[in-house]
Amino acid sequence: MPHARALGRWLLFGLLALYTAFAIGPVLWLASMSLRTTAEIDRAHYALPTTWHWWKFAAAWVDSSYRVYFWNSVIVVGISVLILVAIGGMAGYCLARYHFRGNRVIFFAIFSTIMLPPQITVISFFQILVEYRLFNTLAGLIIVYIGVQLPLTLQILESFFKRIPQELFDAARLDGYSDFAIYWRIAFPIATPAVVTVVIVNFILLWNEFLYAVVLITADEKRTLPLGVYKFMGDQFSDVGMVATGAIISIVPVIIAYTFFSEKIIQGMRG
Amino acid sequence: MSTIPPRPPRHTWRVIGLFLAPAVAAYLLLTVYPVLRTIYNSLLEIRPREPSVFVGARNYVQLATDKTFWLAVKHTVIWATLAPLLEVGIGLLLALGLYARVPMARFFRVAWFAPVLISYVVVSIMWSWLYNYDWGIVNIALRAVGLEALQKAWLGEPRFALAALILVDVWKWTAFHMVVCLAALQGLPREVLEAAEIDMCGWVRKLRFIAVPMIAPTLLGLLVLGFIGKMKVFDLVWLMTQGGPLWSTETVSTYVYKRAFDWNTFDLGYPSAVATVWFAAILACVILFVTLFRQRDTLEY
Repeated sequence: MPHARALGRWLLFGLLALYTAFAIGPVLWLASMSLRTTAEIDRAHYALPTTWHWWKFAAAWVDSSYRVYFWNSVIVVGISVLILVAIGGMAGYCLARYHFRGNRVIFFAIFSTIMLPPQITVISFFQILVEYRLFNTLAGLIIVYIGVQLPLTLQILESFFKRIPQELFDAARLDGYSDFAIYWRIAFPIATPAVVTVVIVNFILLWNEFLYAVVLITADEKRTLPLGVYKFMGDQFSDVGMVATGAIISIVPVIIAYTFFSEKIIQGMRG
Repeated sequence: MSTIPPRPPRHTWRVIGLFLAPAVAAYLLLTVYPVLRTIYNSLLEIRPREPSVFVGARNYVQLATDKTFWLAVKHTVIWATLAPLLEVGIGLLLALGLYARVPMARFFRVAWFAPVLISYVVVSIMWSWLYNYDWGIVNIALRAVGLEALQKAWLGEPRFALAALILVDVWKWTAFHMVVCLAALQGLPREVLEAAEIDMCGWVRKLRFIAVPMIAPTLLGLLVLGFIGKMKVFDLVWLMTQGGPLWSTETVSTYVYKRAFDWNTFDLGYPSAVATVWFAAILACVILFVTLFRQRDTLEY
């Protein structure tokens, strides 16, 4: 019996290890190609780098407009997340802590839009941004991202604010805090874990966003990273090694975030 | 709902208004308005630098007999049904594996989750290469085991392209479902499982007959959310096959995009009609699922 059990455990371990190879094998392969030249890759597609060609990262960064794409993404994602936390935080707090007629109606009206297919808004966003001269601008993309990510942001923050014990607020009110001071000086600092979750989830979703970006941005100098990588792939089509380098550059921030906050990210994406 | 909340005094209404105004404004301007405008668009013919023409239900009539649209619907429904079943199924098995306390469980979990975080652009580059005819791993593996006859340009053959794309979707999202299943398993009361232990239940039977039925609501929820989510599938298809070859991977979303921004028809009215119909279909699914679960709940308790 113990033998059968141990055998079973090793079998299970083997199967899970096999799935691990399937899950991260392709990523490691891409990473290895990012450090090899296309000539090397053509000789052996599945091999580890013999010399580590770090210069390829510099080349991709300098020779193409990668720097521009990267900073565009930083600006768009950074500002979007900041505004989302600001307006989602206030609304989430209000809907969680104030009882008033219509509270749930407002919450579900906003939250339910989480299931909207992007297509139902993308065509009219195109028209709207053209009309307001925001087409092909980072500001236009930021505005759209705020609209798209608001329901998720509101939901995460509202459910956190709801769980804070009422006594805290009563005490603050007795101490003479105004409504806004209670929010900003007491509730918001307590909600730091939820805010971190919101920042992480929105960062990952928006950093990778493709559909709205490809419709609303056509100028090269306004491209975000996903569009940049897409274009880079088209330009360097036969230069497999260089495409791999470009692809890896685009996921570096996500990898860094994941190395430090893997648990937090897994939890956040789940919620 | 025990007590009726006291009516807030007037100054509180002002506070509530200030707190809510930005979010409500964003909601009205950036969600409600675009949605209503797309629905209205669907009744128009909109060409660049021309006044829009009101065409009534013409776009919808055209849609009813548009073979490509119905093909796209078919592919999307196949995708939305098959992918969640595979992802939740495999995700559950993986979660059970970790729940059985294998060594290195933490590493497994973190490694598996990585694909969830990688952008579709990078995913599509990687997988187009893995499916490459000459040096893709799939064909290399087939050659290695002597099955040269089965080699294919996986994304180039209409019969296999859709399945090849769904596999990539499964690769990317399975770990997400695994994490949710694992959390549900870890949330189960220990006593129940210990009771089963006393009853001489083996690991496998314990999981099969006690743990899995207990997290059934979670699994069902994942399947439903997965289905609704996959109804919107766009990025992967657009980046890897653009709906081809021969429409074999066309989905509703890629068709909308194609008709709106990629064809020389230059009409935004017709794709708006497609989007509106699909929006209605998703809404109908959501309402259907919600009412179904309501009934189940009332039956159970």
